[in-house]
Amino acid sequence: MKRKTKFLRGFVAILAIGAAFSASANAAPAWNFEGKALEGSEVILGGAYESALTLPGLVTKCENFLYKLSIKNEAGTGKGELTEMPLYNCTTNSSACAVKTIGAETLPWPAKLTTVVPSNYIVIEKVKVGIVYSGVECALGGLLVRVTGTAGGLLDNVAETATFNSASFSATKTELKALSGKAEWGGVFPTEAFQWHRNQPLTVS
Amino acid sequence: MRKKINRTRMVCAALLAVALASLATAGLASAKLTGEFKKFEFCPYKTAGVYRCIYSSNSGGEVILGTKKVTIEKPVILQGGFTEAATEGAEAEYSKFVAATNGQTLTKVPQNVPGGLLGIVPPEKSPTLVKLLSAFFFENGLTGVTSTLELAKPASEIRVSEIHLAEGLGVALKLPVMVHLENPFLGKSCYVGSSSSPIKFELRPDTTSPPKPNEPITGNPGEVEFLEEGRILKLFNVELVDNAWSAPAASGCGGILSFLVNPVINSMIGLPSAAGKNTTRLKNTIYQAPAFSVNKNNNDNP
Repeated sequence: MKRKTKFLRGFVAILAIGAAFSASANAAPAWNFEGKALEGSEVILGGAYESALTLPGLVTKCENFLYKLSIKNEAGTGKGELTEMPLYNCTTNSSACAVKTIGAETLPWPAKLTTVVPSNYIVIEKVKVGIVYSGVECALGGLLVRVTGTAGGLLDNVAETATFNSASFSATKTELKALSGKAEWGGVFPTEAFQWHRNQPLTVS
Repeated sequence: MRKKINRTRMVCAALLAVALASLATAGLASAKLTGEFKKFEFCPYKTAGVYRCIYSSNSGGEVILGTKKVTIEKPVILQGGFTEAATEGAEAEYSKFVAATNGQTLTKVPQNVPGGLLGIVPPEKSPTLVKLLSAFFFENGLTGVTSTLELAKPASEIRVSEIHLAEGLGVALKLPVMVHLENPFLGKSCYVGSSSSPIKFELRPDTTSPPKPNEPITGNPGEVEFLEEGRILKLFNVELVDNAWSAPAASGCGGILSFLVNPVINSMIGLPSAAGKNTTRLKNTIYQAPAFSVNKNNNDNP
């Protein structure tokens, strides 16, 4: 009898561990306003507090990095679509290279929420940004550089922000590429509702 | 008589002075570039129409020609300039190459052919001593053979696609070459490929689609880095591949006995070798910069 109980305990423990591991990799959180799951859809608008795209040796920054994200819950999972992302006043850290044009291509980009224990993340897929640098001395002058891939950002329920950096990319196993190499993108974005849930705190859980 | 000697001395002195002055000027002209720009010292950056300078150092790889595999052990340099890319037509996205100012657009670097003239190569798993003895007997000055990649056509026939290179997609470099086989018995004119029948490398950093029996192989677009504050683009760990090229029969081997030696070489290497039986893999570090930047660096550092 004792042996049977021991076996059952062990079996339950294994099941619990398995469940925990699968949760850490795949759990899908939802969008919530004032503690309640979002019903229908909502629009999040904002501008990056700070944002930079880094290729080794060349950093591109935009003073105005705006975005419009349409969000909803589907079967209890937070989803979304990035529908607009105008970029203005962009510069580089190189005295040789200026940004001639920059813009998001093939919008909308699908987005989804995911949990990598203990944090929640937003993952934006099918990212495609085209940049044309100018400058007669710029090694990339006249070339269209495409930044493509998937971007994962850490969601902070208290600050109501999404932060994209190398740690968030690593945690979500996402990557952006440009010029055949890896591109690093960093930015802090406010997550504030602008349609039906204005001034209501947005949380993800 | 004395007057004549003096006059001759004066002329000689003047000639010497002119020669020294021109040497000094040439020295200065090639010593002006600084930092990473020094790599472009043989780029024709002052030539009208040259849009970018390129310096590609090949640091390894292999060429499989028929049944012979030659490992690239000594670096080969491809250098010069190129024009703006064509925007339409069959050559859209490709630039024309402009020869290096020192005449060495593709440096001629002899690579050792394993097994030499007799083609005797010990198996990979052989003891080191066996390999060393084999190299000593079959790859020495007499029986050893070297192979050198040479341009089969003028540099202006090379095509480079900056965008394919940067994005790591598509054919990035079209290189018409011939292979120079050298050995005391083969003479000085033993070639596989010629200006009228070149070996056409179409090198790419992505995946090939060769005819059988070769299978698709994949290169490596490498990694990117900007130098000199964005003025130089460096691509490193780039692997360019092509295994869809064909090679003609050897010619000119053995001097006046070429009618006898050519067939032997063809038989040993398996020439002519149809498309799908040959492979090139070249590992490169590539630097490119606008000709304007290179010229400015030159002017800024008199």
